[in-house]
This record gives sequence, C-alpha cells and structure tokens, in this order.
Amino acid sequence: MTDTIDCAANNPMPAAAAYRRPPEVVMRLARMGSFHQTRLSFMRSLLRRLKRENWCFKRSLWAIDQQGFGRAVYTVYGPERAYSLVAFSHDLPADMRSDRVIATAWDATFTLFDGIPTEADLDRLELNVPRQEAGRISDSELSLSRANRSVRLWQHVIDRLSAGLQPERVQLESVGYLVRTTAVYGSGKFGAADRLTISDRPELSGPFQAELLSVWLTRAFSIDLVEHIARARGGDQAVAIDPELRRRIGVGNSTGLGMAPFLVNHPALLNNWMMAREEAFARVRSLPRAENEAIEIFKQHFAGARFNVSQWHSEHPIQIEKLEALNADLEKMTAYIEGESLSDDHPWDRFYRWAEENLSLEGQEQLLSLMLEPYGELVDDLTRCMDADEHVSFFIDGSMPLSRLREIVETQCRWALGVDYEQPENRARFWYTSAEKLEPRVGERFHEPGAEYELPLAIGCDIKHMHAALLVWEGGPTTAEFLLAHPEHRHTARRVQNLASRPYAEIQDNLIAADMLPIDILRCKLSFFGATKFDPRSDRWVRICMYQDAPYPHEWLEPAV
Amino acid sequence: MSYRLTLAEAESYLRKAARASGLDWGIAEEAGKTARWLAAFDLPGPETMLSHLQNLAGKDYAEYIPQCNLEPWQASGGVLCPVITGAALADRAAIMLKGHPIKLGRTAYPLLLAATLGQAARHYQTVFVTCWSGVRIDCFENGLRIEGKRENLLLAEVDHVCCCREEKSTPQQLPSTRAYSIDAAIFKRIDALAFKTCAPATEESRAGAGAGLTDND
Repeated sequence: MTDTIDCAANNPMPAAAAYRRPPEVVMRLARMGSFHQTRLSFMRSLLRRLKRENWCFKRSLWAIDQQGFGRAVYTVYGPERAYSLVAFSHDLPADMRSDRVIATAWDATFTLFDGIPTEADLDRLELNVPRQEAGRISDSELSLSRANRSVRLWQHVIDRLSAGLQPERVQLESVGYLVRTTAVYGSGKFGAADRLTISDRPELSGPFQAELLSVWLTRAFSIDLVEHIARARGGDQAVAIDPELRRRIGVGNSTGLGMAPFLVNHPALLNNWMMAREEAFARVRSLPRAENEAIEIFKQHFAGARFNVSQWHSEHPIQIEKLEALNADLEKMTAYIEGESLSDDHPWDRFYRWAEENLSLEGQEQLLSLMLEPYGELVDDLTRCMDADEHVSFFIDGSMPLSRLREIVETQCRWALGVDYEQPENRARFWYTSAEKLEPRVGERFHEPGAEYELPLAIGCDIKHMHAALLVWEGGPTTAEFLLAHPEHRHTARRVQNLASRPYAEIQDNLIAADMLPIDILRCKLSFFGATKFDPRSDRWVRICMYQDAPYPHEWLEPAV
Repeated sequence: MSYRLTLAEAESYLRKAARASGLDWGIAEEAGKTARWLAAFDLPGPETMLSHLQNLAGKDYAEYIPQCNLEPWQASGGVLCPVITGAALADRAAIMLKGHPIKLGRTAYPLLLAATLGQAARHYQTVFVTCWSGVRIDCFENGLRIEGKRENLLLAEVDHVCCCREEKSTPQQLPSTRAYSIDAAIFKRIDALAFKTCAPATEESRAGAGAGLTDND
C-alpha cells in the first residue's frame, strides 16, 4: 500500500520502502500537531530555487513619506519571469488594529503582481488592495495579504534606531518579527489569478510558492520601513539595524480556523506532502552508515534546535506542556548523542526507534526534521512531488466493484469504523461557514444552533455511515449503481477511492470529537510552510514566525540592473 | 454591468448554490466543477447552472434521477437533471469507452451534461461527444469543439440527447485560466443562493474563533 509515491521516477532508493511509517502512525492529529519545519518546507525550497537559478532583486519603487505611509514595489527577476510585491503602508489608529479576519483595516496591505506593475496598475491596486476582502484584484495578481505592526517591537526598534542605538536583542528575539501577517490569499480568491495560471511555471508550481514569495518580500519591506521612519525621525543620528540582528527578525503570522479545512479539502495535496516527508525520512533511516560530515551537520542543527526551543515561548497551557516535553526530549537526545555511536550500523534508524520508545511526539518529530538536514542531495528533489492536481483526484471510478470500495474502507479506514458516533462526545462539534465573515467555524452541536449548515468535514463519521449502507446494499455490484441510489455518499466515496492510490490523504482522527484541537491541523500545515515558534492563543488560533534567520533578498540575490 | 468571476470562484459559488438547492455535497461538487469547466471555455456555465438550480429548488431528487436500465435513460418525473445524470454518465463512462452510445430522453440544460463528460474525457484521456437538437459538443482531455447553432446550445429542455466516444476529432478551443465575465445582476443571484449555505452568526460563533488573548501586541 505504501509502496506508491506519485513521484516514483524520482525514487532512487527502493530500500527506503521498509522504513516508511504507515499512515495509521503518521496521520494522527496529535502527531501532526507536533510537526516541525523541515528542509522540504516550502519557504526553504523557494529560497533554494531562487539561489540556484540566480534570481535578481530590486526595490523598484519607494514612495513612502516621512511618517512611513505610501507605496513600495519589490521585484525579483527569475530566468523567465519577474514578480513584484506591491506594498501599501497605511495610517491605522491603534484601536482598529486586530489580526482577526473580521478586521477592516491594517497597517500595511500587499499583493504579489505577476510581472512588473505600471503606474496605472499601482493606482488600480491602491483602490483595492487596502480593502482586502472588500476589494477586487485581477488575473495579474497572485496573492492578497495584510500585516499589522507588532506593538511590542515596532516602537522600540524605531526609538532605538533613531537614537543611533541597536534594538535590545532580548526584546527583539522574544517577539521575533516587526509585522504580523494574517490571511495570505491566492489561487483565484478575491479576483486573483487562478492556480492553473501558475501551475505550469516551475518556479511557482510547488505549493504556496507565490504566497510565500510575497511573505519573504514583506519581511524585507518591514525592515526598510522601520529604518526609513527611524531615519526620518533621527536624521543623521539614526542607524540601520545590525545585519546579524536583522536576521533574527522574521515575519509573524496569526491564523485561525479559516485555514483548518484546507488540508481536509485537498486530500491529494495532503497525501503528497506527507508522502514526500515520510519518503525523505525513510531514505535517511535506511542509510547503513552516517559519514562524519553528516553527523557534524546533524549536531550543528541539533544545537540550533536547542537554541530555538529556548527562544520559543507560549502562554497557552497546551503549548507550555508540549514545550516542557520537548525540552526534556532534547536533554535525552543530548545524552543519546553523547552516549551512543552515530557511526554504528543504521544509526539514524536506531536513533529514531529509540526516540519512539523514549520521547514525546514533539521530540520524535523534531528528530525527524533534524535527521533530514545533512541529506539535501538525498531528499531535496522530493519537493518536486509535493504539488497535486486536485482536479485529477476528483474523478470517481464508477466501475469500481463495491467489494473493492468496502475493502478500502475496511483496510484503510479502521480509524473511522472504530468510533461510536452515537456517543455525544464523538460528534460534539460541527464545522460550518459563518454568514457574518464567510469563514469556517467550529460549533458545539448540542449547545449551538446551526448544525443544519454542517460542512462535509465529518469524514470518519461519513465513512462509517457509507460502510453501513454498503453492508445492507442489495442493488448492482458497482460504485456507479450504489451512488445513483445514495447520492449522500458521493462525497465520501470520492475520498475513499482516492485512498487506494493516496494512502496519506486522510487525517485519521475524528474531526468532530469534543476533544479535537483545530490547532493541530494548523500546525501541520504551517510546518510544511516552514513556520517556527508555534504559539497557540487558543485551541483554534495560533501565532507563528516565518523566515526567522533566513537571508534577505538583497543578501541572497544579485542586484537587478 | 459585468463582474469578473475567477474560475475558482465559479466552482466554489456554484457548489454552494447547488448545495443550497438541496443537492447532496458530492453532487454539488460536480455542479461546481461543471460551472467552472464551462466558464474556462467562456461558455455560460455559471448562469446556466443557476437557471437549472432555480428550477430544481424544492423538488424531489428521485424525480430527476435517470433510470439507467431503460433505453433511452428517463426520469420518473419526466425531465432528467443534467448534473445528476451527468454524474451517472461519467460513472458509466466505461460503457461509452467500449463504443456503446448512451441515449437520454427529455433532459434539462444539456450543455451542463456535456460539461460533465468534459471531466470524464480528461480522466480517460479521450473524446466524448454529446449531441442534441443539431448541436454537437466534443469534449477533449483539454479542449472543446462545438458544431451547430449557438441558440440551441442553451436550450432549457430537449427531447433527446446522445452521448458517445469519438476517436477522430480535433479541438477547436483550449480552456483559459482567466476570470469569467458574468452579468453582475446574475452573479448577485448566484451569490445570494450560495450564501444560504452559511450559518447566521451567533454570540458563540463570534466569541469562539478568535485568539482568546489580545491580538494587538
């Protein structure tokens, strides 16, 4: 079952198959909610590509006034095409500053323009981008986003720089960003170009590459803006941020339930992300030996991970507990690294099997991320397998015998069949779209109205219902015949058929259980983006940091002439 | 006045509109894909789907489903629903792949039905043809050919439809990824119908989604 990877042609290591973790181990919310970024994460693969392909960079417009308001354009030039971040900086009263999607104004708003915008484009965008969901962008734009300043850090950095001083390192690192983005929309949302517009461009065909390019350039904008305001205020006395300190500044992001259904609604994509990650890990575990150089790289990254965890703070009880466990795990790993020889036979596999016995899920998944670090040549190509054409996986095979459909349910969906959905705690929640903001929400089925608006995200429950219908079906022998009589199972049959070739396509947990934590879904997705410092603000809302320690465009790319 | 509807929005709005019209989610998803597929060829998929869904509202699914053991297929209520029938046709594409045509009796909006076969053509990497009232639509893996009178393309009901596989044909038109231009008043009606899938806000829903802690720091 797990022998198939969509990118089979990329697989030079059949020996790795025996080391792949099965879906029933991987696709659990508790584990997915403990994922860390890896070298396959989308931010990292994007920056590798820009470097490899010798992209160039230019801040092509800076029309920002002394108060820091106005417009700016940042352009990157690839081998075939250019892309421009168009940024608008606004005067936002403090009492209007909110990261919630229900906000209507922001400190700065952005769009990623496909090419180089003209003055007329900028004028058109200025009428729409600042309005975000209430505005309309066009086929020429690839993303739409906004950011608010970090109140904790923004003023501090301006005060210090304008007085000729560097920001306090402790304060800067404890926040980790100057601006915090919220939604970064793409793929046809609010008038933006359809996903198919970019899906045949190598540089943007990978998942979320356009959105993450816009975030990377947004980070550069946030530094330029803060230095500009400091100069305006401090004149000759003002200084720029020290380059080493500047690297410690990422971009924040604040995100909630709106993002959660995405992974459930894109099963082929989820499968491909998971398969690539698991395949990479299996390849490393299958290595009979670890060279000294690889061990050294691992140790460097291990030290970096320890430092990052020391910088990772959260006020939320769930994350505080997880961080304590992770710290204890890192202590145990330190002892393991010192005590056990990493040059023995199959050292990475032995290390991971030890981790399964001795570490929390946070520690196990941290170890996975670290083990990939020395092996770019072995695993980085798998990023090519991480996009998916959801239109292809949409098609139902009506000729599939029902015996086969049942077999898939009974072998690959035991997680769904084993739950008693008659128990109130097992169907305590329902997912719906809020009429007020057109955003997904989770309701309490037995305490709130609205369950009749339920979205088809109760996957386990729906699979069990379909299975029950299959058991008593007395009609014809094919899926086509069953679905004609039972259209209510069409959505579920599509998903179940998909599992035959995409075994990691389903989260194997009950998404309507009373104890389900939406932040687990958010963390999984954001770790694939490359996010760090997960800081839940509730069980359905999380803050993260992006691109912390990453290079800046002017450091990473050649200047464009 | 026209409104630019992206293909992703065409799919999303019509999926929700179909759900709001009483179709199950799995069928509603087909309706969304159908609207998108047609819009990509600059054909009035969203508008035609809206017209069909408005006719469908409040009616019983059983009246519209095809009795596939009859020749031609017929609905017990007299008129076949192109979305439900289209899904049933795509599910039985193997019959057409073997060279057997499928004939349908009285059918609403056959253009919508043809679009469903467009998706089957992509899956099977072949060409499926739908014919009615002097119109012939060839659906390719990634293209389209239309012959016949344009005014018959948008007929609300026809007496006979024939669907089959074709091996010798070449596409006339490739799909676009650009936004589809739709009459703003019609879009408003689609939006209003889709909006019926959203739950009215409650104090609980407003309180539950946010950070819990301050988000202005």
